[in-house]
Amino acid sequence: MTIRATFLGTLCRPSFVVAIAAVAVFVGPTSAHKAPHTPEQLRQYEDVLMEEVRKGDLLFHGDAATAKQMNVVLSTTGMACAMCHPMASDTHPQSYPKFQVETSKFATLRDMINWCIEKPNQGEKIEIDSEAMKALEAYITWSNSGSVLVPGKH
Amino acid sequence: MSDELDRIRREMHAVLQQPGVRPDDSLQITRRTFIHRSLLFGAASVGQTFAWWPLLNTIDVAHAAEAPFKFAWISDTHLYQKSLNTRFVDKVVRAVQEVQAMDPPADFLIFGGDLAQLGKIEELELGVDLLKDLTIKKYYIPGEHDWYLDMGKKWGELFGQPNWTFDHKGVRFIGLDTVSRGPDYWTVKKMTPEERMGHMATLDGTVAGAWAGVGRDQLDWMQKILADWDKSKPIVIFSHNPLYEYYPPWNFWVRDWREVNDVLKPYTKVTNIHGHVHQVLYNEIGSMRSIGMLATSWPWPYAPEGVPKLTKPMIRADPGDTYDGVGWETVTVPADDKVDVEYIMWGRKEVLVQSDPDSSLSQPEKLRPRIADNMWPY
Ligand SMILES: [Fe+2]
Ligand SMILES: [Fe+2]
Repeated sequence: MTIRATFLGTLCRPSFVVAIAAVAVFVGPTSAHKAPHTPEQLRQYEDVLMEEVRKGDLLFHGDAATAKQMNVVLSTTGMACAMCHPMASDTHPQSYPKFQVETSKFATLRDMINWCIEKPNQGEKIEIDSEAMKALEAYITWSNSGSVLVPGKH
Repeated sequence: MSDELDRIRREMHAVLQQPGVRPDDSLQITRRTFIHRSLLFGAASVGQTFAWWPLLNTIDVAHAAEAPFKFAWISDTHLYQKSLNTRFVDKVVRAVQEVQAMDPPADFLIFGGDLAQLGKIEELELGVDLLKDLTIKKYYIPGEHDWYLDMGKKWGELFGQPNWTFDHKGVRFIGLDTVSRGPDYWTVKKMTPEERMGHMATLDGTVAGAWAGVGRDQLDWMQKILADWDKSKPIVIFSHNPLYEYYPPWNFWVRDWREVNDVLKPYTKVTNIHGHVHQVLYNEIGSMRSIGMLATSWPWPYAPEGVPKLTKPMIRADPGDTYDGVGWETVTVPADDKVDVEYIMWGRKEVLVQSDPDSSLSQPEKLRPRIADNMWPY
């Protein structure tokens, strides 16, 4: 119990990079050509995420320039996602996949994003693995960081 | 942000919820008020209360009017030009028809702000045009969406002074402007009026900051107009924003709630009725009761924290039905010292949550503020 608590505590701290490096030393490399993550790499990974979050934030808030640039029409009514979901509230990404009442289907978050685009927003649904979809998903999940996964929850 | 909110909220309770301080209940303690009070001290969570809350969609507030009367409330119509969006127009038409059809008629209508979506002349004029079919006396207060394109110029031309007072059948009514005193976030960044409005029109924006407030000048005015009013006679105050602190990141508050409380403290029967939140809300803060009203346009979800314990939440609306989660209100002030607010929600009969799955609060959320609007220019 104590050990587990300590381990989690370590991971939660910003210094987890150091912690991972330390673990690697104790366990030893399983493959000689793999190097531990550098702080520079981790920063790059973070930058990639935050760039997607930024784009998703703009799309979610109805930014016309970003929508045009990404070649999507998410709404034709003047409504933007954030008008019903400020700070991506009430999107509950942690509850997917689940049976979606609106479509009577077992659905992912991406399915529901498309439903909102098509129905309330009267926009054009986007490809399920498109750049815009990934950005929207990044923004919604990032905004809800810290929520507990409860698939299927209504 | 959450820690900061917690700190402020503890402060609000320390200032306002001192032992024995609550709205006057000497006149009538209804069953509802009794339940509210037991909740206040029992500190039960919203989720735990679902099982035993009575099925009610009115809220009682103790008051004493000379003669019974009713008035109506419509707010947050957020009109776009007709060419862009007719669904909000349709809902205003419906609300106006229903208020006009009230029998006996309402004594007057309060329009609680956010008539327009982007503060445009066409939008405000469309609102006037739609509301003109309503022949009872109308009073208007502004919302932030009405104001920040031209800083209230058109609104003032159409509706006059944004704050006002009148007496009606033994009740003093006050309309406040809680939107026009926002900090200047546009000059340094050289924003166009449209950009300024865009930030203001984004509820979860981070640029416009803590714009909701009453302001020293208006507080002094309120103090002056209440000076001759008997401390035990009823006062009803209309404001766009709630006059307490619920969720500052969405301006579900006024930043000078302490000063508001200072002015109102001597008066024992104060009711605040407000818009902006697009949701059912009930709270008791110091000696004031506060009631949140529905929008006609769309419902906002409850904030991830800070929902008053005394609020029986409204249902989570069906996103496929634009008539769900929205509507208007009648307020009855009977002679027997109460105020009844009836929520008329078009989508359904049961306005309030009956069980957990009907509530947006059934799934706890931890949310982060947005980032992209603070990267200037993007
Ligand atoms: Fe509004
Ligand atoms: Fe508002």
